[in-house]
Amino acid sequence: MTDGTYTTSVRIDAAPGDVFPYLTDAALVVRWMGDWADLDPTPGGKLVIDINGVPIRGEYLVVEPPHRVVFSWGAAGSDTLAPGSTTVEIVLRPDGDGTLLELAHRDLPAEELPRHGVGWSHFLARLVSAGAGRDPGPDPWATA
Amino acid sequence: MLRALAEPQRRRILTLVRHGELAAGEIAEQFDITHQAVSQHLRVLRDAGLLRERRDGTRRLYAIRPEAIQSVREFLDELWPASLRRLKSVVEHDQRRAGEDRR
Repeated sequence: MTDGTYTTSVRIDAAPGDVFPYLTDAALVVRWMGDWADLDPTPGGKLVIDINGVPIRGEYLVVEPPHRVVFSWGAAGSDTLAPGSTTVEIVLRPDGDGTLLELAHRDLPAEELPRHGVGWSHFLARLVSAGAGRDPGPDPWATA
Repeated sequence: MLRALAEPQRRRILTLVRHGELAAGEIAEQFDITHQAVSQHLRVLRDAGLLRERRDGTRRLYAIRPEAIQSVREFLDELWPASLRRLKSVVEHDQRRAGEDRR
């Protein structure tokens, strides 16, 4: 991650206007990421998503329906991904009848990080992403 | 490896040893389940490559393997593509249902 940016994209068979609410409405966000969310999709509004006990914290920075949303991103208690320390931009472009969603996660820390404690919360987070389509349910140990 | 992680008590074991080595007995003390059950969990974690086991006399000591802790890059590689695949699937599913409702 030499340039500090991670990018990925996906094509969705739905118009940008139909996709956009899934980036800003807490009830819709939790259907694809995390198990609980509290979102205020206005510039400066909070973005709180718990991903299997990993407390993701940030703020919406840019909200331009139905094409673009930018929010800061970090994990509470994490030194390597401190809340608000990184930025995620999601752009929705019309692509035929559908949408090309492009995600750029910027301002990421350099790869050379002390092993100790690095990404512990991330380690748990992978459980969620690995369990695509499966609801992991509440994790009683996640906050222990 | 993910199966090893799918069990909450095993995840808790990993959080216990993340800052340093612990003996099997010290780990077991943290749980209400039998020592035998804890040993079983330790074995699964060791076999999955998440824990390193070392013998010190009669004691068995466990530490997390550095390889088990991901870099930020690996974390994002896991998080975003899988999340976006779910987003695609959820939106398209909802669109199909909305389309059917309109008919």
